Amino acid sequence: MDLSPRAVKIIQIGLLLALLASLYSVAQSYHAERALIRQNAVTLTPGCKAKLSAYGLQPGDVYISPYIQQKTGQQVVRQGYSAEDVRAIERGCNIIDDLQGQHAENNRLERWNSTRFVRGNQTSCDHCHQGIGDKQTPDAEPQIGSLSLGASWVMADMYDRFTGILLPYELRQMQCFINSSNGFKPNIADDLIGDVTAYSRFLSAALDLRIGNRYPEQGIDEVTASMTDKRGDDYVRGQSLYRDKCAQCHGRQGLGTVVDKQVLFPAVAGPDAFNLQSRNNFSFVSTILPGFICRNMPLGQEGTLEPQECRDIAFYISNLPRPAGDKQGPLAAAWQQVMMFVMPPLVAAVENFHANKP
Amino acid sequence: MHASLMNRGKDYAIGNSLLVGLTLAVVVLPQAIAFSTTLAGLPPYFGIYAAIWGVLFTALLNPSRIFHGGPNSAMSAVIGVTLLPVAPQFGNDYIGYALSLILMAGVFQLLFLLIPALGRMLDFLSEPVINGMICGIGLFLIFKSFAGFAGLPINTEVEWPLWIAWQTFLAMLEIGNMHAIHIGLVTLVVTVLARQFQPIRNAAILLGIIAGTLLSEYLNSRYGLENTLIEQTADMSAIGFVFPSIPLFTQEAMPDLISIIPGAITLALLGLFQTVAAMRRMNRKQGRYISARHGIFADSLSNCLLPFISSLPTCASFNRMWLMHAMGAVSRLAAVFSGLILLLLVLFFSDLIAIIPIPAMAATIMIVGANMIKWSDIKPHFHNVPEAIVFSTSFISVHIFGLFGAVICGSLLALAYAKWEKAHPNVSLDGNTLRIKGNIYYGSLPVIESLFHKAINQQDELVVDFSAVHHIDPEGVRWLAELRQHEKVRFMDRRSGMDRRTGKRVKHSKTDRRQRRVL
Repeated sequence: MDLSPRAVKIIQIGLLLALLASLYSVAQSYHAERALIRQNAVTLTPGCKAKLSAYGLQPGDVYISPYIQQKTGQQVVRQGYSAEDVRAIERGCNIIDDLQGQHAENNRLERWNSTRFVRGNQTSCDHCHQGIGDKQTPDAEPQIGSLSLGASWVMADMYDRFTGILLPYELRQMQCFINSSNGFKPNIADDLIGDVTAYSRFLSAALDLRIGNRYPEQGIDEVTASMTDKRGDDYVRGQSLYRDKCAQCHGRQGLGTVVDKQVLFPAVAGPDAFNLQSRNNFSFVSTILPGFICRNMPLGQEGTLEPQECRDIAFYISNLPRPAGDKQGPLAAAWQQVMMFVMPPLVAAVENFHANKP
Repeated sequence: MHASLMNRGKDYAIGNSLLVGLTLAVVVLPQAIAFSTTLAGLPPYFGIYAAIWGVLFTALLNPSRIFHGGPNSAMSAVIGVTLLPVAPQFGNDYIGYALSLILMAGVFQLLFLLIPALGRMLDFLSEPVINGMICGIGLFLIFKSFAGFAGLPINTEVEWPLWIAWQTFLAMLEIGNMHAIHIGLVTLVVTVLARQFQPIRNAAILLGIIAGTLLSEYLNSRYGLENTLIEQTADMSAIGFVFPSIPLFTQEAMPDLISIIPGAITLALLGLFQTVAAMRRMNRKQGRYISARHGIFADSLSNCLLPFISSLPTCASFNRMWLMHAMGAVSRLAAVFSGLILLLLVLFFSDLIAIIPIPAMAATIMIVGANMIKWSDIKPHFHNVPEAIVFSTSFISVHIFGLFGAVICGSLLALAYAKWEKAHPNVSLDGNTLRIKGNIYYGSLPVIESLFHKAINQQDELVVDFSAVHHIDPEGVRWLAELRQHEKVRFMDRRSGMDRRTGKRVKHSKTDRRQRRVL
């Protein structure tokens, strides 16, 4: 069949217009779906249900935090939340508690498609931001150095000590997505980011944190080398400590514990863990992971490890194979993939060999 | 005197030059704004000054009659990509770094002019490498315009570009600003349709932008800017005759300046390729020859001057040069007029330029990007397997290794391909004649020797014909000298076909004699 050039041109233009029209209709349907999700009632995860009802979240003209009332006997009156605000806060809480949507029927409808921004199927925000971003000691005091989201929000434009720039709260969330969850950056205008911000902001109101203040539960209580005897960090010591204190939950190779597709304990190494450019990586920033371990680990026995022990464990963990960061380029990524594929079985085989030696 | 002036006036065809200049000014204006704001991350006057002063400088320094410099999409994209991790876009620091980057690129281009060996190296970047890069950048421009098209904030951190593109595409569908998308679509559709009609083809982008701007003004008046949230091109108050500026070379900026040197080299190379390639193609179209060195001279000098007047770098634009050619421009005056007319336009109509919505600009970039991917340019590369491999590698590496990586990757492959071709000379055995075509050098000797030994074992007497050899290196000469000692071997005389040793005619095989007769 021979078509004249003019006919070919018309067909080309027609196809292009049809493509644009179909993309436009897809965009319209996605937008409509998002609008509907914003209107729908939210099914809370068990953790969020407990937390938000304890903090007395409901629509109203004023908000008075029961937590502060109980603690200080004073009523701190704050501006209340509309029904729309409440839904956003609830969705944000769900995202922090259950980023992977394991409690949701449909990740796309209930978690703003959050798994798209995360590689691997384990990471969730509350692995680091424990207690759904609001970790408390048994006597209901905020836990020092627990990466509290409420305390982070009141520093809204955070001065980032590491990069030396002022970082808006939303942009800081993106760094979590890129490095800590080894994923992709959601657009800053995404509802995912907005809802998490709404929830963090609500936490600061519930705990009566004041804007611009630095609270000890914000960020990490870093463990520097000068807090130790300065004998140097030791990988081998770290390994034995890890096996002693951490391996029963995180697994001998650090690959996490997953039962019935429910992540009980997250991976600290391998494809589902944070990547090489995360600040959790000891050889990248050597004070943050030790600080996290000292204040937050092991669960239920927080604060039992010495600073040197935390540094040793962090050193060991960071040397386990894990994904490369996006900025390290394709070659590093390929190499890390090979390492993650080869090392765990190799290590297991060698250990097996030694264990079975007569 | 008077008569000669009249004649010269006829040569310059001032009336036609004015028309061509006006058309060029109209064509280049939206590109200038779009390239600087959406690609380079710089205020719009950068592109406009490039379209004024870049064009004027190159027109004065380059003797080609048909040459049009000005802002370039690929170069602007390189500026944006290189500086993204260095400083926030549109900021003071960013502008300072951009000026230094452009100046460094200009200096590198001067080096290419002053060191002839470096200038020759440009010739070794084969066409498939450059076409692959240009197509890759075209696709990159389309990806890059998604965020602006949907009125979304631009992702400011560098990740793997393809993933960012995919995520931004999904974000566009899910959370894009519908008003922005409407404006972008109207611009896109109007431009595409207007391009189909010959009389308004050249003004298609301008018409699209006018349509987009009208829609944006309507939406803003109906819903209010605070509800539509449509970004506009911005305040053009800075624009004047020139806007003097000084590149940033402070001590604390040094680490960052060093880190952007690869970007500066990429910028310099991309500009030079395009200028050299456009001049070559234009020479062929016009049937005259102007050395590409003139183009390199004009470009490098302009790019050393332009950062001091807040301008994007310049390089040849084949599209606009083709437009000049098609409209029958005969002198450099057309380019000069386009610069001057544009200067008048921005001096008196800057209020109108300031309300152009960013989504319309992004739609323009999409069209420019799509035009960089031309099937007619790509098709020839797929007739030859190695060329197809070089083209595809260069195309893909733009998206995987970045622009600098693509330059390195593509040229290494092109060099490897050239060496590989040389290492496989055309050696054939006709009866008792061993014909060698191509080069005899250390790389090709193993191939030649293998066939030679096969032949010498079969034949009583072997004639070696290396009359079609281009080049013999010392190792090849030594091999031939050894060969002469061999009693079975005779060399064919280069011209007469006489046997060098006996002075008699060499006995040829039947096929060979038939060939000779034909010749």
